[in-house]
Amino acid sequence: MPSTQQISPVEEQEKLLDEALGVVKVQAFQMKRCLDKMKLMDALKHASAMLTELRTSLLSPKSYYELYMAITDELRHMELYLLDEFQKGRKVTDLYELVQYAGNIVPRLYLLITVGIVYIKSNPQLKRDILKDLVEMCRGVQHPLRGLFLRNYLLQCTRNVLPDVPEEESNLAEGNVRDSIDFVLMNFAEMNKLWVRMQHQGHSRERQHREKEREELRILVGTNLVRLSQLESVNLEKYQKIVLPGILEQVVSCKDSIAQEYLMECIIQVFPDEFHLQTLNPFLKSCAELEPGVKVKNIVISLMERLATFSQRCEGAPPNNIGDSDYPPGIPSNVQLFEIFSDQVASIIANRQDLPSEDMISLQVALVNLAHKCYPKRVDYVDKVMLNSVEVFQRLGLEKVESNSSVGKELQKLLKLPVDNYNNLLTLLKLKHYPALLQHLDFYGRKYLSIYILSNALEHETVIPTQEQVEQALTLLTTVISDQSDQPKIEVDLEELAEEQSLLARLVHQFMSDIPDQQYLILTSARKALATGGALRVKHTLPPLIFQAYQLAYKYKEIKSEDEVWEKKCQKIFQFCHATITALVKAELAELPLRLFLQGALAIDQIGFDNHETVAYEFLSQAFSLYEDEISDSKAQLAAITLIVGTLEQISCFSEENSEPLRTQCALAASKLLKKPDQCRGVATCSHLFWSGKSLATNKEEVHDGKKVVDCLKKGLRIAKQCMDIGVQVQLFVELLNHYIYFYEKGNDQITVQVLNQVIAKIKEELPNLESSDEAEQITKHFNNTLEHLKLSINSSESVSYEGLEF
Amino acid sequence: MSFFGFGQSAEVDIYLDGQETRKKVEVKGEDNKKELLYLYYDGETISGKVNVSLKKAGSKLEHQGIKIEFIGQIELFYDRGNHHEFISLVRELARPGEMIAHTSYPFDFLNVEKPFEVYTGANVRLRYFLKVTIIRRLADIVKELDIAVHTLSSYPEMNNSIKMEVGIEDCLHIEFEYNKSKYHLKDVIVGKIYFLLVRIKIKHMEIAIIKRETTGMGPNMFTENETIAKYEIMDGAPVKGESIPIRVFLAGYDLTPTMRDINKKFSVRYFLNLVLMDTEDRRYFKQQEITLWRKGEKVRKQMHGGNSGNVGNSMSQAQQQNEQNYDPNESNNVRSQESEHLQEDVFRDGKVTSRSIDNFQGQDPNIKVMTQSSVSENDVEHIPQTKIENMEREAGDGQNDSSNEPEK
Repeated sequence: MPSTQQISPVEEQEKLLDEALGVVKVQAFQMKRCLDKMKLMDALKHASAMLTELRTSLLSPKSYYELYMAITDELRHMELYLLDEFQKGRKVTDLYELVQYAGNIVPRLYLLITVGIVYIKSNPQLKRDILKDLVEMCRGVQHPLRGLFLRNYLLQCTRNVLPDVPEEESNLAEGNVRDSIDFVLMNFAEMNKLWVRMQHQGHSRERQHREKEREELRILVGTNLVRLSQLESVNLEKYQKIVLPGILEQVVSCKDSIAQEYLMECIIQVFPDEFHLQTLNPFLKSCAELEPGVKVKNIVISLMERLATFSQRCEGAPPNNIGDSDYPPGIPSNVQLFEIFSDQVASIIANRQDLPSEDMISLQVALVNLAHKCYPKRVDYVDKVMLNSVEVFQRLGLEKVESNSSVGKELQKLLKLPVDNYNNLLTLLKLKHYPALLQHLDFYGRKYLSIYILSNALEHETVIPTQEQVEQALTLLTTVISDQSDQPKIEVDLEELAEEQSLLARLVHQFMSDIPDQQYLILTSARKALATGGALRVKHTLPPLIFQAYQLAYKYKEIKSEDEVWEKKCQKIFQFCHATITALVKAELAELPLRLFLQGALAIDQIGFDNHETVAYEFLSQAFSLYEDEISDSKAQLAAITLIVGTLEQISCFSEENSEPLRTQCALAASKLLKKPDQCRGVATCSHLFWSGKSLATNKEEVHDGKKVVDCLKKGLRIAKQCMDIGVQVQLFVELLNHYIYFYEKGNDQITVQVLNQVIAKIKEELPNLESSDEAEQITKHFNNTLEHLKLSINSSESVSYEGLEF
Repeated sequence: MSFFGFGQSAEVDIYLDGQETRKKVEVKGEDNKKELLYLYYDGETISGKVNVSLKKAGSKLEHQGIKIEFIGQIELFYDRGNHHEFISLVRELARPGEMIAHTSYPFDFLNVEKPFEVYTGANVRLRYFLKVTIIRRLADIVKELDIAVHTLSSYPEMNNSIKMEVGIEDCLHIEFEYNKSKYHLKDVIVGKIYFLLVRIKIKHMEIAIIKRETTGMGPNMFTENETIAKYEIMDGAPVKGESIPIRVFLAGYDLTPTMRDINKKFSVRYFLNLVLMDTEDRRYFKQQEITLWRKGEKVRKQMHGGNSGNVGNSMSQAQQQNEQNYDPNESNNVRSQESEHLQEDVFRDGKVTSRSIDNFQGQDPNIKVMTQSSVSENDVEHIPQTKIENMEREAGDGQNDSSNEPEK
């Protein structure tokens, strides 16, 4: 085995390049020396020798580029020298022909271009013909790499001499912009062909490597387009009729995805937006014809974004269509920007079977963005996109999209966009097809979006003022509102549920109409929807509804002069509330409905509509029955009875006939509490009913039934004494003492100083027996504070007399 | 001209009328040296004076008569002794007698016919010369003067383009077109090649100009092929549908008009050889004869590409001419020397052999001449006129180019 030194490809490239550069250096030096000595022929000879290095097939594109740069740099000397000579009038005859005797085509054409440019610069009359000739002759180099660089050289050299005058103003020989277009388009077409051809050369396993090389070279092809865009005489008409069709034809026909993707992007970037606006149709049509592998999505989206930005940029400028604010700024009125994109996107989706579905949705996303940026007022546009998207799903036969799939993610993006864009739930509701599109997401996706919409509405405090809108909004939020058929059967995380339901509950407060009748309708609709939520949800969602209803009732009262039947309406509202609360009861809730009933009763009392006494009584009795039937926990019972007492104490609408049983019932219920301390406190609380309670009998004044008060308190003392625990006993005594004092101060003549003394004595007697503990300390403190209060009262002249008080 | 023996007793000098203004052209002599000769055309009168001056003043020269001859002759190198004179005119300048002083004899050959062009090739030479002979008893004094003759042709009436489709089945189909079939020596060959089918990996394509000199008749026929020029016209592999332009300036090459059957002694014909080389160095080629003719100098044809019509000098000579047989260029010698260097560098890969002769005659019966796209009888199908001609395919690395040299 011969031991050949292994050289890595990189090193080998370096070596080859170094060698080539060495030759270039030597030949360039010789060339310049000959030029200095005015020996043109020798200089040409050396130039040719230098250019011969470009015939190599061994260099990678990168190295070849370096070599190319080095050589073209040197050629510039030649060009400058010749220009100088020509300007001095020392014209070398037939130089253009002379260089064509070079036997090898690559050096020959480089020289030809160099000389051609000198000819053009020194005699513009030759421009047209020489340009034509050069671009035609370059066909001789069919090797992709060498051809690309040769034509790039042509393009570089001609950049300042391309005729750029309108057709009408030109003389034939110097050419006009039309010639420039033809020239660049032809060069472009040829370069593109060469570039595409690289793909098909060599072994298929080197494909990646080749594609990388092509990426490196793409700028050479793109430069053609840049050059076209730099021609000032290319106006819109020329662009429409000549330039763009020429480019597109080449792009489409080359059938190479890398080229297509790059070039389409190039077109978008290099030409002005004003042109794009007028050529959307052909451009987008071509997009539909691109190769399967091309990411058409990116191209279209990029164009849309560019135009949207353009439109926004023009916002500051005065509108070009005065009096028609529907047109976005900067966009001519004859361009139906959105329609065009929408139609073309639809046709792209229809025609490109291979388009991944997520790309289809991305396109819709882009459309929505466009519509938003350019036509913020045109909700119908966005809706159209929604409809199209729904159709896409139908065509694809995609019923449900998994939210974590790429399509799902795009879809979520699409659905979130209007939410974010409008920040207004009402606008969102104008999108008729939004719910249908939402339905294509799986449960998690829908839920995520529902919450997203919900949070957005809350954040922006969107008030929803009509029944219809409420219904629609609730449809959107249906995953939050009730169980779904496709919901996974897993344990519900209660905390999470509570969180989302409280969001929903907050939203209910934003269901607000200025028109009470409307508000009523809203509430009924909302209840209908929310009631489907099941026990776990209604406890969060119905209460706000009920409070809303109460508010509404108050409102009716406010406007009773305007509405003759307000009383009936109020009744209806309370019927509604009653039914709603009953629904909560049915959901096996007790305390909550109890409170709601009580609150309702209070409201009824205050509104005082026709027949309100009956209704209030009904509410209270419901509360009682709840208390009796549903509340079993003793603490809860105490709390409930306290509430009931408090409510009853406030209500003034009952006749004696109704109020008496209620009060008695309260006292009875209190005394029937299970635990003695509870009994004691309950009874003590009840005592207030007989003092500050009001009824029709007393003409809505406080009852001041001192005897009954004392009875209650006495009963309390009795019960307290039965307590086994001294601490609790003392505590209860102190509390009772407070009640006594309260009533005494209020002027209950049934309470005397003696009674107070008795209680105080009792407490003092028991107090030392307490074991010292935190509790005991608290009790002592409470007692001392009470005494302190008494002392202060005695000293102050204003209060009732405490004569004879002992402490 | 030195004659030994009796020494040179007289100097003979031929003066041509108007020689100060007459154009001179370089003509390759027998020993391949270029000489500058006065140029005459067919039918032009050759007149002048023969000056005979005596070496020693006062001596006398006795002679049997003085004559001047105008001779056109063909010399075949393999037949040195036999010169074939196709023109031989004699003028008597002086009767036998004595010359005692420097004498001048005017002569003229009126409207003399000069049917052929001067030519020096590998095996044959055609020359014209004036020969003055002072006939003496022992040794004649002879003086010869070569002149150059160019035959001018008028613009050919029929000058069709050469267009044909050629190829190798399922491998390569091309259609090529040269704009003319007859080119004058300063002409430009313009054409294009259209690729209809490409299934081979082409590396490059070139056009070669081949000169074929045929001498002798029958068994003594010699054919010499010489590649005058090789001109790369394409680099890399084209794909189907590609069309490649051809533009070859002829002025830079050492060419003569096509000569057919000159005095039944020899022919010089020219061929364009289109050669494609694949990545394995196989060569595919197709030869087409073109007719070259010499055009009068006055009328200039516009060059292709809108350039000024001044047909200039070559930068390159045919690279195969290692023998340094440069045709001195008509106008500017210095420049052509410069260009010769350039040419060497351009082709410094050195692969080109001195004579790549693509002689296909008698090698392959399938070869068809383009002008008649005839179908051989044994072809089964009757194929219409667009029949694709076969191209030659040559295996190997191009080194065996000269393997089929002509029988010699």
